Amino acid sequence: MRKLVTTAAVALLMSGGLAAPVSAQGYTASDDITVLMGFKAGGGSDALAQLVQPFLAEELGVSFVNRYMPGATGAIAWTQLAKQVKPDGKTISITNTPMLMTNYIMNDTISYNITELTPLANIVTDPGIAVVAADSPYQTFADLMAAATADPGGVTVGNSGIGGDDFFTTVAFERAADVKFQKVPFQGDGPSWTAAMGGQIDASFNNVGITYPQIKAGNLRALVVFSNERLKELPDVPTAKELGYDVAAGSSRGYSAPAGFPAEARQQLVDGLRRVTENPEFQAAAAAQAMNIDFIGGDDYTKFLQDQEKVFTDVWNEVKADVQSN
Amino acid sequence: MESDVTDSFLKIGLINVMEPINILAILAGTMIGMFVGAMPGLSATMAIALLLPLTFQFEPATGLAMLASLYLSAMYGGSIAAILLRTPGTPAAAATVIDGYPMAQAGHAGKALGYSLTASLIGGVISSIVLLTVAPLLGKLVLNFGPIEIFAIAVLGITIIGSLSQGSAVLGLLSGALGLLIAMIGMDPTTGTPRYTFGNLNLFSGVEFTVALIGLFSIPQAIRLMIGGNADQAGRISNVRDRMLPTARQFIEMLPNSIRSAVIGVFTGLIPGTGGDTASWFAYNEAKRFSRNKAAFGTGHAPGIVAPEAANNAVVGGALIPTISLGIPGSSATAVLMGGLMVHGILPGPTLMTEYGDVTYTLLWAVLFANIALFVVGMLFTRACVSVTKIPNRVVGPVIVVLSIIGAYAINNSVFEIWLMLGFGLLGFVLDQCKIPTPPLVIGLILGPVLDTSLEQSLLIGRGDYMIFLQSPISAVLLGIAFLSVLQATPLPGLIAGLFRRMRGSVEAGNDNG
Repeated sequence: MRKLVTTAAVALLMSGGLAAPVSAQGYTASDDITVLMGFKAGGGSDALAQLVQPFLAEELGVSFVNRYMPGATGAIAWTQLAKQVKPDGKTISITNTPMLMTNYIMNDTISYNITELTPLANIVTDPGIAVVAADSPYQTFADLMAAATADPGGVTVGNSGIGGDDFFTTVAFERAADVKFQKVPFQGDGPSWTAAMGGQIDASFNNVGITYPQIKAGNLRALVVFSNERLKELPDVPTAKELGYDVAAGSSRGYSAPAGFPAEARQQLVDGLRRVTENPEFQAAAAAQAMNIDFIGGDDYTKFLQDQEKVFTDVWNEVKADVQSN
Repeated sequence: MESDVTDSFLKIGLINVMEPINILAILAGTMIGMFVGAMPGLSATMAIALLLPLTFQFEPATGLAMLASLYLSAMYGGSIAAILLRTPGTPAAAATVIDGYPMAQAGHAGKALGYSLTASLIGGVISSIVLLTVAPLLGKLVLNFGPIEIFAIAVLGITIIGSLSQGSAVLGLLSGALGLLIAMIGMDPTTGTPRYTFGNLNLFSGVEFTVALIGLFSIPQAIRLMIGGNADQAGRISNVRDRMLPTARQFIEMLPNSIRSAVIGVFTGLIPGTGGDTASWFAYNEAKRFSRNKAAFGTGHAPGIVAPEAANNAVVGGALIPTISLGIPGSSATAVLMGGLMVHGILPGPTLMTEYGDVTYTLLWAVLFANIALFVVGMLFTRACVSVTKIPNRVVGPVIVVLSIIGAYAINNSVFEIWLMLGFGLLGFVLDQCKIPTPPLVIGLILGPVLDTSLEQSLLIGRGDYMIFLQSPISAVLLGIAFLSVLQATPLPGLIAGLFRRMRGSVEAGNDNG
């Protein structure tokens, strides 16, 4: 395994890091940075790492080593980050919302929380979206809402799993619109939209980046997006806000460090990440993978996480009894 | 019009795949895959994920050809350790242990590997042909399989326990129930509530199936080898010069079984959530069901090797069908492959067959060519592998333990899982000593999470009404077959058949190799 890890590290270097000068010029805390990954190699977090880190390695003159510690929807890696990792600038982690917060909000056994972290920056956000099968009777979001109002709990809506962003988007929406869906959790985004496409469920609350190829091909119909403004790739799909529901949500991924991280190192990383997201080459690479850049740096990211934590806590306290009685 | 387009993609793909760089990539992928497959704990999925960044600098088609060959050959690689060491290199090879190891024990390790390799070739070629010809049609089928249908498949799978525990049905059921119970560990898929985790974060995602499998098979085997010492070695050593490939007659005899198993493999691969681990058991079970010589299974019977190995290689093509035709990964390995497409700016989805048809068809041809590469490389590699049987037991035992520990750690880079693996090793040893069969436990572990999730989802969709399982035609038929399977494992059919035989007044001694 060690050999395989080295291979991966070498591969990372080869895919962009080689051009970087050996001496650290942009990052003074360390020559190399270990990135804890709470999910398996090849997953969404890994995709972000493979996209961002070659560019960041060049910006900062450091090399990156990914350490995969999958399990408990990221909680194993994040507990390690919060409780055991020394804040010496040598180790950071990819942090995914909402899982970063919902893990400990939903389970008392998970003991870390965001006050034990130093948030660095959010990089991408994949906005939420509601999709139905191409042959679904629901042509517009109003149709779906009418059905849900007429028969509370009769409209089945898939999500990517309990604790995931789509689950919380659905609940937040139910609260805002005062409707009740029958929520069906799946093992990830893929099975959720597949079930909608196959007609096993009425709709899937999902993410734009994931369902876009199917929407473009005409296999799925987008009813509403949960972003602040209309998306340029889906100009005809209204936002929830336009329709009068104050819900904007999605799944975000960024980087965080342990609490007590040196301020200088934090600033260098945040600036480096900002320059990466402004790089046209990076933007093109991100667009090719349908990743929606959403840079939120430094203290703004901290505030973003705190705001989300509050929303999710409220939502969970409200629906907890209902969900656990299933 | 559309078929013209497909035809031209077929040609472009074939021309592309013949390029030296692509052939080289296929050969490299095959060798890595065979190695990874042979090592317990290193899986194809893991190797694909780790090699993915390396392939970024290649053309998309070249990189994908390499990864697909890796995936395919890991399926055969898994059987090498299963046959020689009684430790499946991949979960998909667990069923191969049952007949592969006894055959190797009898001094025919080369023959066992030859059967496995030939069956892999047949299974792989059939699924590649299906992939190249009717993938778009079959892809649509996937959409008919929702939680309700998947639940029915899992129920059908559970009935295999019955046929695997003939002789001692009670012990088999006990073992299967234990497997299902262990599968319940972890967060509940619909409520997020941790079950049987004892507050241990490492158990929140449940027991990693591969970790359990390594422990259950490898550790008891290592203990057995070390305790048994080197006495009675004569039978174990296989002649390296022994004929590996089946004779023409044997080949023809194994064809029906291989084709049936390949079809099972393609369909199991097609359905998201079930892969090589499930398919090999299904195929083994059917081979036994169709065989006239059921008692020979488990004693080193060739069809018991052919069925799982043809099926698990056929899964590769099956799992790729929904991946390329719809953008739905049919297995975890294809999910990672899809990640590889995205890095090259190809969004997985319906455009794979149209806009990116050249890349896709190169990949599909590569899968077919990889089968041939696998056969050639396998022939060379396998001879060397057989010499493992010459190594003294007291050396092989500790080596298995070391490999198991490395494997268990490698899956999630977790020290906890080394202990978990050793725990399962002890459990496996105890089960062995009590003559409780382990295969039913493995089935419980594989299908437990599928049953759990799909049952809860189906009931949410059906608003708590169990009748939903009979309203779906697919599910109703599958559950009907499952019911008949259960009946078959009871004494009832035996009684009826016995009665029938007595009436005919003749006993047929069956001798089949099918």
